Amino acid sequence: MARYYELRELESKAPKLFGIPTGTKLDEMFFKIEEEDGKFVKKPLGGLPYLSIMNLTGVPDSGKSVLAEQFAVTQANAGYRVLFVTVESPANFLYTALKHKSEAMGADFSKVEENIVVIDASESDELRENPKALLDTMAYAIREKKVTNVIIDSITGLYEHKEMMARQIVRQFFNFLKKWRQTGIFVSQKRSAQASESAEAAGGLAVAHIVDGTIVLDKKLVETRWDVSLYGLPIGSVLRTIRIDGCRLCGHDSRTWVFEITEFGTIDIIAPLSEFIKRRGRIGEEKQEKIEEVE
Amino acid sequence: MEVIAKPKGGNIDKMAEKVFMESINLLGGLKKLVEYRNLTWLPSLAEAAYVIVLKNEAFKTYGEIAKELGITEQTARNVATADEEKVKEYIEGRLEEKPNEHIAGGIAKLAYRKLKEEGRLEEEEVVIRHDEIEVLGIDWAVHVLVRIKGLDFPVGKEQLAERLEGMVIKGKNVEEILDKLEYPVKSPAELLHKIKLSLEE
Repeated sequence: MARYYELRELESKAPKLFGIPTGTKLDEMFFKIEEEDGKFVKKPLGGLPYLSIMNLTGVPDSGKSVLAEQFAVTQANAGYRVLFVTVESPANFLYTALKHKSEAMGADFSKVEENIVVIDASESDELRENPKALLDTMAYAIREKKVTNVIIDSITGLYEHKEMMARQIVRQFFNFLKKWRQTGIFVSQKRSAQASESAEAAGGLAVAHIVDGTIVLDKKLVETRWDVSLYGLPIGSVLRTIRIDGCRLCGHDSRTWVFEITEFGTIDIIAPLSEFIKRRGRIGEEKQEKIEEVE
Repeated sequence: MEVIAKPKGGNIDKMAEKVFMESINLLGGLKKLVEYRNLTWLPSLAEAAYVIVLKNEAFKTYGEIAKELGITEQTARNVATADEEKVKEYIEGRLEEKPNEHIAGGIAKLAYRKLKEEGRLEEEEVVIRHDEIEVLGIDWAVHVLVRIKGLDFPVGKEQLAERLEGMVIKGKNVEEILDKLEYPVKSPAELLHKIKLSLEE
């Protein structure tokens, strides 16, 4: 039977607002407002909001999986259990990626190994095609392994040939993680036809409208003299950006930031794009002038 | 790192079974089906129960359902889109003419909705009223259907003997019954009908 709540009844059920670290600068980009000496001050949350389900989206090779894996290693290394549902990459490849990341991040791999549970939906049609079977399997893993964080890479892979059902499927997984009190990341893929800096993912607005917040990753190929001069990067190089597109649980930095995927395969968020341009643009202009002098 | 590569937990077969049994309950129990000589509805009802569960719980497309159950896409669509309210009016005798809907589909949808609303579809235990069915002496139909699951019809005697081996139906060995049937048997419905006639001889 449907019931209603008095607002005060919800107080005991309301989740506390604190951060679940990702091991990247993103942790400082979510914040809450607190009163100190009669003044309101911004305080970094220190991670993704606790019990939030964040959508991590971007075009291919923009670094979504890298970020998701970094989050998994950070949490597992801190002693929290992580459930990693791999839909794209078979579990053995994920193992290698997590091992390398652990080494690069200076994490204790034996701890990481112990605290990550993987559901390999990439090679099981039943798990990939049947949301009910996957949800039941996830419930088993969460219950039996005392999981607190869940990553699904990618949620899009669960409805790739039935986009009409995208909202229904995403909603089911969202509600499921809420019910089981998990902090989660849904990696969602974007088609090249969709504006790369937007939050839209395959299946229309399915994911972004249901989840608590979206983080958009993007990459730009430096291909004109204008780009060289603007970004101060050599022609043919790639500029990667990351932006929190929205979060309904807490405040967040809304700027576009530049990041790099290091040679060890980890995310390093460098500076806001505007500052990066100011700093690097000057170098770019100098380089450009030299090129023109030579020509 | 523990890797789980196979599904654990929920079971589509069990859910379909629940929808099937609830459908029979909605119709007033198996006894009523027998009284009205509608025992041949059972395969159609079992099929409809699967269609509804595959559509709503496994999110299968009509094409996938058709392939899995060996039916046409149109049948899967007719089952899943049947107007259950009209079917309800019809089985309750409030509708004079038979509606243009897939009757078994409408019944299975009603049963699915009821189970879902009462939270019984997700329950671990399967609530099958075996005792009641056995008392009525018609449990054999359900057992036969379970045994022939996935069998491609028409079938010959050998295939049936292999599947139904060891069964005793109303005191008769199934081999004895199978000896008296005509082959090939075109569908599960025809098989149940022929066994029923053979038992009455």
